[in-house]
Amino acid sequence: MALPDSAALLQALVSGLLIGALLALAALGLSLVVGIIRVVNLMHGELVVLGAYAAYALVQLTGLNPLLLAPLAALLVALLGWPIERYILQPVARHGAEAPLLTTFALSIILQNLLVFLVGGDTRALDSGLGARRLGTGAVSAPLIYVIAALVALVVCAAVHVLITRSDFGRRIRASAEQPDDAAVVGVAVRRYYALTFMLAAGVSGLGGALLGMVFSFTPAAGVDYLLTGFAVVVLGGVGSVKGTLLGGLGLGVAESLGATVLGDGYRLFIGLVAFLVFLMLRPQGLFGRRT
Amino acid sequence: MVEAAIALRVRALSRRFGGVAAIEALDLDVQAGETLGVIGPNGAGKSTLINLISGGCAADSGSIVLFGTDITGLRADARTRLGVGRTYQIPRPFARLTVYENLELAARHARRGVAPASAAPVQETIAERCRRILTRTGLDDVAGTTAGSLPLLRRKRLELARALALQPRLLLLDEIGAGLIERETRALIELIIDLQREIGTIVLIEHVMDVINACCQRTAVLASGRLLTVGATREVLADAQVAAVYLGTGERVPAGAGAPAPPSAPPSAPPAVLLSVRGAEVHYGGVRALRQVSLELRAGECVALLGANGAGKTTLARAISGAVPLAAGTIEFDGARISGLAAARVTALGIGHCMEGRKIFSSLSVEENLLLAVPPAAQRKAAERLQRAYAMFPALRQRRAHAGTAMSGGQQQMLAIARALMSEPRLVIFDEVSLGLAPIAVESLYESLARIRASGVAMLIVEQNIHRGLQLADRAYVLAHGEIRLSGTPQEIRDSRELRALYVGEDAATGATAPAG
Amino acid sequence: MNAARKPLLIAALLGALLYCLPFALGPYWQQLGLRALQWLTLAIAWNLLAGYCGQVSLGTGAFVGLGAYACALSGNQLDAPIPVQLALAGLVAAGFAALASVALFRLRGLYFTVGTLALAEALRILMVNLRTFGGASGVVLRAATPAFHQLYWLALAIAALAVLLAELLLRSPLSLSLRAVRDDEDVALQMGVRSFRVKFGVFVLAAFLMGLAGGLQALKLGVIEPYGAYGMSWTIDTVAVVIIGGLGTRMGPLLGTLIYVALSEALRNLPELHGAVAGVFLLLAIRFAPRGLWSLVARRPAHG
Repeated sequence: MALPDSAALLQALVSGLLIGALLALAALGLSLVVGIIRVVNLMHGELVVLGAYAAYALVQLTGLNPLLLAPLAALLVALLGWPIERYILQPVARHGAEAPLLTTFALSIILQNLLVFLVGGDTRALDSGLGARRLGTGAVSAPLIYVIAALVALVVCAAVHVLITRSDFGRRIRASAEQPDDAAVVGVAVRRYYALTFMLAAGVSGLGGALLGMVFSFTPAAGVDYLLTGFAVVVLGGVGSVKGTLLGGLGLGVAESLGATVLGDGYRLFIGLVAFLVFLMLRPQGLFGRRT
Repeated sequence: MVEAAIALRVRALSRRFGGVAAIEALDLDVQAGETLGVIGPNGAGKSTLINLISGGCAADSGSIVLFGTDITGLRADARTRLGVGRTYQIPRPFARLTVYENLELAARHARRGVAPASAAPVQETIAERCRRILTRTGLDDVAGTTAGSLPLLRRKRLELARALALQPRLLLLDEIGAGLIERETRALIELIIDLQREIGTIVLIEHVMDVINACCQRTAVLASGRLLTVGATREVLADAQVAAVYLGTGERVPAGAGAPAPPSAPPSAPPAVLLSVRGAEVHYGGVRALRQVSLELRAGECVALLGANGAGKTTLARAISGAVPLAAGTIEFDGARISGLAAARVTALGIGHCMEGRKIFSSLSVEENLLLAVPPAAQRKAAERLQRAYAMFPALRQRRAHAGTAMSGGQQQMLAIARALMSEPRLVIFDEVSLGLAPIAVESLYESLARIRASGVAMLIVEQNIHRGLQLADRAYVLAHGEIRLSGTPQEIRDSRELRALYVGEDAATGATAPAG
Repeated sequence: MNAARKPLLIAALLGALLYCLPFALGPYWQQLGLRALQWLTLAIAWNLLAGYCGQVSLGTGAFVGLGAYACALSGNQLDAPIPVQLALAGLVAAGFAALASVALFRLRGLYFTVGTLALAEALRILMVNLRTFGGASGVVLRAATPAFHQLYWLALAIAALAVLLAELLLRSPLSLSLRAVRDDEDVALQMGVRSFRVKFGVFVLAAFLMGLAGGLQALKLGVIEPYGAYGMSWTIDTVAVVIIGGLGTRMGPLLGTLIYVALSEALRNLPELHGAVAGVFLLLAIRFAPRGLWSLVARRPAHG
């Protein structure tokens, strides 16, 4: 554990910011589900990983560059989201608060095991074709793929933000999040909007996964890590807020990157978990906002 | 020693919830051995007060001293060990434990040390105490039943029994009489009077005035989080100011508001029935919140729904909107059955609902709150409807970008009214629009309601304030205990003898002497 | 008193049968029996915590792992005999639970659940990275693996201990406090229950039992590494067993274990599908039998 010099720290900072944007995108789906539908989605990590695998499958099928196929992969995951929310999650909502949680837990187990069964547990990665090309000067540079992925992440986050704050859809889901019973009386078809929100969340998570798959390798078991990273981002930045999620992601990315540089790469996720636990103790209400 | 004679001393107690003062600078003394009643309209802070005393919620400032010990900073279980026992307004039994187990748990955590000056033997085992209390509260036969499956009356008794098992020095009862019919209320009064000798000090929150009259020597009145007055029960209840707070009859009557002006020359044939409710029953966890309610409303009519707190007015309004399911009976709108449809569907069919408590979404701006109510199919007309809303309430236009709740109560009410109209409904339900507002604000709102009425929309106005409710109505119904007790024209209602009794309780209304408490 | 005695009688009978297993059946069934007994122990522990006290923890892996490592290391470093190894396994896990309680029980309900998940995962990562505990390659036990029927009887003893402790707890007045905290923690506090102490106590007890199961695992495998010891599969199996059998019921853990063992055997040739099928069963149980299969089997009496 040698103390790195300032150049290495700066490098870590830059990488951290870029990865952070990606982490934010990968966490955005969780933020939406927890914030709007008020369900702790324990299968979130699997949706992210599914995005990576969907992209992988599409690459095998078409031979095209994963960067081009990422949106399609996201769409596939989004489509899976509808039946899950509408037919598996909604019916158990009335069985108490733990039932949806344990149901998403069960779903995460099923998805993870299905993936192992279908494609095997080997580590895979997506090849974006950009190789090791870097952007920037000698002292501070970043792989090109990081930059592109981060840019895509930022654009998508911005788009979701606009969708939530400016559109009729956004109004309706925000009202449903705050008080679903009152929203229904005002005329909002709350259950339909919950399902649409889950679809959006699944799609965004899938896109995040596809992009992450071009930066890091993945296995079916990686879901837990993305789930917990997602929670860390959401707790840091606040639930349901796109800006908060972005800031949380950037913060976590930098923290992880610095931690990895100082302590060693194996501790990357550890920092995130510690941050998550500490914040959860200090501001548990930050996770669930208004309603307990 | 003077200190020992004061069971509970509350000084400068305050508690805010997100900007609203639930309790403000409250000073109150409860004498040892007395039964103090606490009354006040909805939102006065009565339950919050109980919560603050019992430790269920922490005060922002002020102090609470129990029999000479400062309990302000103590957690709920510590206060219980010092002798505080309470019941919950909506019973909260340990649902998966049996009735006996509920008591046993409390008995095991009862106050140690000082025995109560009471008829109960000091040396008794836990089992003996539980059996004794079960017999006392009439729960013997259900001792082995799971608490969650009990009907409401039993649950209320269980609340009381469980609190008694704690052997409290100070017993706090929160609306233990709510939802009961007369026979049950009588039995409850007898039980409480019986307990007074044993427990000593009781604080009793109630809406049912019969209970207050019969059991409490002194009564305190809360309004908007502050103590309005405290004194001998009979005097407090007869006080005109207290009546005004409850009935709204103390308000200045605007000139010419005697008979409501009809919107246009009455047509020769009566207009078609728009809304028809037949035999509606609503059951909330064992209590019949609505019993065989039937009413009718015709196109263009303005009908008032009156009644005291807990009478069932809001329950009926929510049943019509589809927010609450019917256990029996039907509701038809424009000939089609709407009972059983989802709330959003009912709204889409043409019923708007300006909800009790306003229910403005704080995470949406004023304009977004309004636009939300425009059905997806009518999005193209949204801008036009928005302008009409702003024309009716210019104050909203000024605050269009502000958060929906960042306004005064009166302005939020305007927003709620405007929002209910955005879907261009044929019937609008206005639920307690005057709640918590100053008379001037209420007057202005009712002027808007008069304009809405003039536009020909059918209206159902739910009001606790009789005067306001009858101001614009063609006809009115008065509810009590979930049933319709009076109906007729505004004049008929005003002239009715029963009215005051329905609101303030039989004894107070007729002036009959209460049994010695 | 017959109704109260019945479960005890059944348990005693089963216990006797199980004890005789190694004499009657071959190693394959002993293996199965061992695994079943481990699951039973974990299920009883988790059922106390989540079913009777309402604290849904997803951190079973943490305590199993700690137990496994404590057992292995105490054997290697201290040359401790097996009973001491196992005792340490339980105590280390319990100690960690005690420390974590202070922080974890500041969280309620769903937050608590997510917190336990994060804690378990953090512990696993820590163990992967710390060289002192062997890092990713783990620890090899120096002592020879005990004979199989010996392991089996140890597992039986541990399971019997779990049953005994659970029964003692549930028959004592503490059972009331536990269930009151589960049904409504705020009201429990209002009725004088010191809810933190209650939650703390169950959590530590459950951790102790889980640690014992972990110690057993170390002895059985002879080598342990972080992914297996602290892995999610422990949590998954435990939750599935209890939910399927009946959360918060006396017979739930036993019934669930039997079903789960049957399930595992049925999927013996398709180990990859095991998890997926378990997940499907869990889903169905939550949706259609929220009180567990026991509630479908046992007729509901007229009064509670």
